[in-house]
Amino acid sequence: MSAAAHAYLNTRVSVMSTRLLDPERAKALLELGLPELAEQLELQSVIEDQLSAHAKVRAVEQALIATLLADVAVLIRPMNPAERALLLSWARRYALFNLKTLIRGKLYDLDPTTIRNDLYDLPPGLRLARDELFRTENVLELLRVLERGPFSLLARQAREVYEQKREPFALEAAIDQQYYSDLVRQTMRFQGDSLQPLRRLMGALLDRIDVMWMLRFRFAYGFSPSETFYQLVPSPRLLHRERLLDLVNRETLRQLLDALPEPLAARMADAEDVLEVQRRAAAHQAEETRRILTQSASGVARALAYLMLREMDLMLLFALLQGGLLGLPPDVIKSAVDPHAFGAANGGGALAAAA
Amino acid sequence: MQHVRLMLMTEDLPRASLALAETGQFHPDTRPPEEPALSNLPGHDYRETFVQARSRLDKIVRIAELEDSPILGQAQVIDHQVLDALNQKLGTLWEDASHLEEDFRGLDEEERVLREQEAALENFANLKVDLGVLKRKTRFLDFYIGLVPRENVSRLEGAVALAGHLLLNYLQRDNHAHVVIIGPCGERENQLASVLSSAGFQALPIPDGITDKTTEELEADFRARHQALEARRAALEQQLTDWRDKHREQLLDARRVLLLAEPLVTLDPSIHGVKSLAVLCGWVPTRAIDRLRKSLNAHLQLPFALETRRPTAAERPLVPTVPTHNQVLAPFSTLVKQYGIPQYGEIDPTPLFAVTFLLMFGMMFGDVGHGAVIALAAYLARNKLKSFAAFGIAAGVSSMLFGFVFGSIFGVEHWLPALWMPPLEDPITMLKVALVWGIVFIIAACSLGIYNRIAVGNIQGALLAPHGLVNLLFYFGFLAGGWNLASSGGFGLWPGLIVLGSLATLAVHQWRHLSGPVGEKILVVFIETLDTVIVYLSNTLSFLRVSAFSLNHAALAIAIFTLADMLGAFGTIVTLILGNLFILVLEGGIVMIQVMRLQYYEGFSRYFSGDGHEFAPLRLRFGESP
Repeated sequence: MSAAAHAYLNTRVSVMSTRLLDPERAKALLELGLPELAEQLELQSVIEDQLSAHAKVRAVEQALIATLLADVAVLIRPMNPAERALLLSWARRYALFNLKTLIRGKLYDLDPTTIRNDLYDLPPGLRLARDELFRTENVLELLRVLERGPFSLLARQAREVYEQKREPFALEAAIDQQYYSDLVRQTMRFQGDSLQPLRRLMGALLDRIDVMWMLRFRFAYGFSPSETFYQLVPSPRLLHRERLLDLVNRETLRQLLDALPEPLAARMADAEDVLEVQRRAAAHQAEETRRILTQSASGVARALAYLMLREMDLMLLFALLQGGLLGLPPDVIKSAVDPHAFGAANGGGALAAAA
Repeated sequence: MQHVRLMLMTEDLPRASLALAETGQFHPDTRPPEEPALSNLPGHDYRETFVQARSRLDKIVRIAELEDSPILGQAQVIDHQVLDALNQKLGTLWEDASHLEEDFRGLDEEERVLREQEAALENFANLKVDLGVLKRKTRFLDFYIGLVPRENVSRLEGAVALAGHLLLNYLQRDNHAHVVIIGPCGERENQLASVLSSAGFQALPIPDGITDKTTEELEADFRARHQALEARRAALEQQLTDWRDKHREQLLDARRVLLLAEPLVTLDPSIHGVKSLAVLCGWVPTRAIDRLRKSLNAHLQLPFALETRRPTAAERPLVPTVPTHNQVLAPFSTLVKQYGIPQYGEIDPTPLFAVTFLLMFGMMFGDVGHGAVIALAAYLARNKLKSFAAFGIAAGVSSMLFGFVFGSIFGVEHWLPALWMPPLEDPITMLKVALVWGIVFIIAACSLGIYNRIAVGNIQGALLAPHGLVNLLFYFGFLAGGWNLASSGGFGLWPGLIVLGSLATLAVHQWRHLSGPVGEKILVVFIETLDTVIVYLSNTLSFLRVSAFSLNHAALAIAIFTLADMLGAFGTIVTLILGNLFILVLEGGIVMIQVMRLQYYEGFSRYFSGDGHEFAPLRLRFGESP
């Protein structure tokens, strides 16, 4: 990328970063009722529409995702092809959500309208390439179509899953696994000034994901160390391959948390349950991401860091709106997304918790 | 063109769509209705059913490879019930076809595994490993031999290590790795089974009797298994053929029904309504209104109302333009469309484009021989070129006619007597002719532009827009001044006044439409005014290329003959052939590009907005795939 393009992108990211929520603003949002919140976010039409609560929640989620993807579209404009591909790959997660929804829908023989209502409406560059997928009428047909495209490996595994136990979990885990592996591979292809900050950024993301997956697979689903390790994606930062091999062998949650490398171990020092670990791991990622946004000189790393933080903010807003739409008591909503849950020193911690 | 608004009962929509499609004169207007009450979309369910039915038919036809077209018969109304029944029927047929497709996929998979198994055994043979030992599981050791996707190998290696096993990757083919996993038997076996399943591990069984059979016997076994698979494939193909023959009529009928249902689906975005009332808007050529009314009277069973009116001034940009249907002009029309579609009311530039294009091409590439080759080549390739063959033939004939004018045949200028003169005989006269041609072309283009703006009601644009009446006035003054300058040495009072007056008018007009600081306005107006002078001067001189290329053609021919004269008999023949080919391909191509450039830039930019849209009426697409 030329110096001029870097300058432009960096300026763009700096300008857009002013939209990010600080803890005070997040706290103020918590105090708002559903109508005021919807008004601030210009979502009154969705709230006032004659739709079911579920449909309203979906519409709100769709609107927030559209906001995020609009930011992606703005940021990729001055980028070179490799940078653009990385940001689009990151955003392609929403297309994979659609793929998972489709697979789940076919596995459980859901009505096509129900499936369609649960799909995100994505811009052309991020949509699943094949409309054929949407027109399939059963699992086997879906898998055949999938096998002809870039997800052929997934499709083959899906077929085994379908034939053996009709269990979508393994398939969804494989989709996530492949997605994050691709993201890391793309990151590691960068050279020069952008490589280090991108490694840190992706490392922070995968460190959080690996901690959560390890806890979930080992202690919630009761997976063996082998199976747990197989589902993980080694991080380019703290939780690399050798460390993961060691960690998955730990027998209890406490043992595993104590064996984490610093600064994760210190952060998890007195965490008692998975929910608390999730909050703290997310806070760690948010802190690292914010650091890259404020300190890095790489335009692409800052742009990706901004998008990650923006997504966290939007998820916080979504949690607030969802809570309101489902009629949850304000205390319950606040306890789920309290911006002071981790102390002011965390910066973006509260927002990360919502993510 | 008239705007029509058809109000009818919702249940008559399929009949109305058929009636409109049969006339082939109704271009749907997709604007939302002005009345908020008409916000329903009555055709939505119909469209959903149609899309699903067509998708099913497409998938069946892809597998069954059915290429026949349905027999037309009489057009019939396809209501939602009929479409729904068809959709259900196609759903059942697709279920059959889907099973067959799945069977084919299964066979492909078996073949793939068999090939991998052969490769694995061949590899083991090279390694001199006793497969019998691997096949006989011991009490203490556990073996797995098989395939995993290449990208899973590294993670699987770590995962099996945690279960106390070792992974050996002994062969890589395509995207797969052949692996052997060895470890102690025991309680961790179950852990491993789950990991292998997640990793997409595919076992490659070691054939029975592996230790007792010779290599030839094993090869014969594999051959037999391949033959068995081929036999199963042949049987499956026969099954598919039988299935297709059995359902051919049903599928053709389904295709026919979908063709008849398609018009209503196409209309869907234009249909709005409330309760049982539907409203449909569109554009219809004035001459076709009566025919449309008769067709609706004949088809619709329930009362309807058809309102017609002329388009309003604000609607003009939305009114579609009927394209040229002349067969001879069709290729020229295609080239015009590359620039844009004429706005409704604008003169269709295709005839003018065709005439001026041929004149310019002929003058720039005037040669009886080369023209004949172009015309002949276009005629011989008429099946490939289709409508563009006429274009090639016309260009060739034009080149031939100018070849007679210049007395040139394959660059030789002494075989034919010139009707006028060879270009190199008097280049100055040639340049003068080109200059006059350019001046006439620019004046004609500006005049057409002015007429087109008046035709679409843009009076101010006709007067003051770029290439409007004031610009034309400036050009006349500029030309008169130029003539005076060349003949008597002075620009002249009147031409000077006309030029200054018109430029001042344009500058004032521009000033009034600019916003911003005064300094910036002065700068922009000055540059734009100067640009007007430069543009007209350079555009006029741009036409000198018409003569320049005719001179170039003659000069290139002379160069080739000079080269040929320097060589022996064989060299002369080769040089002449290659030289003429060079002239035909390279110079012909360049001339074509130059003519297009003159047309698009000096012509179209003056008189043709190109921002209209084509009249695309609703039609029944019989004989085409739905």
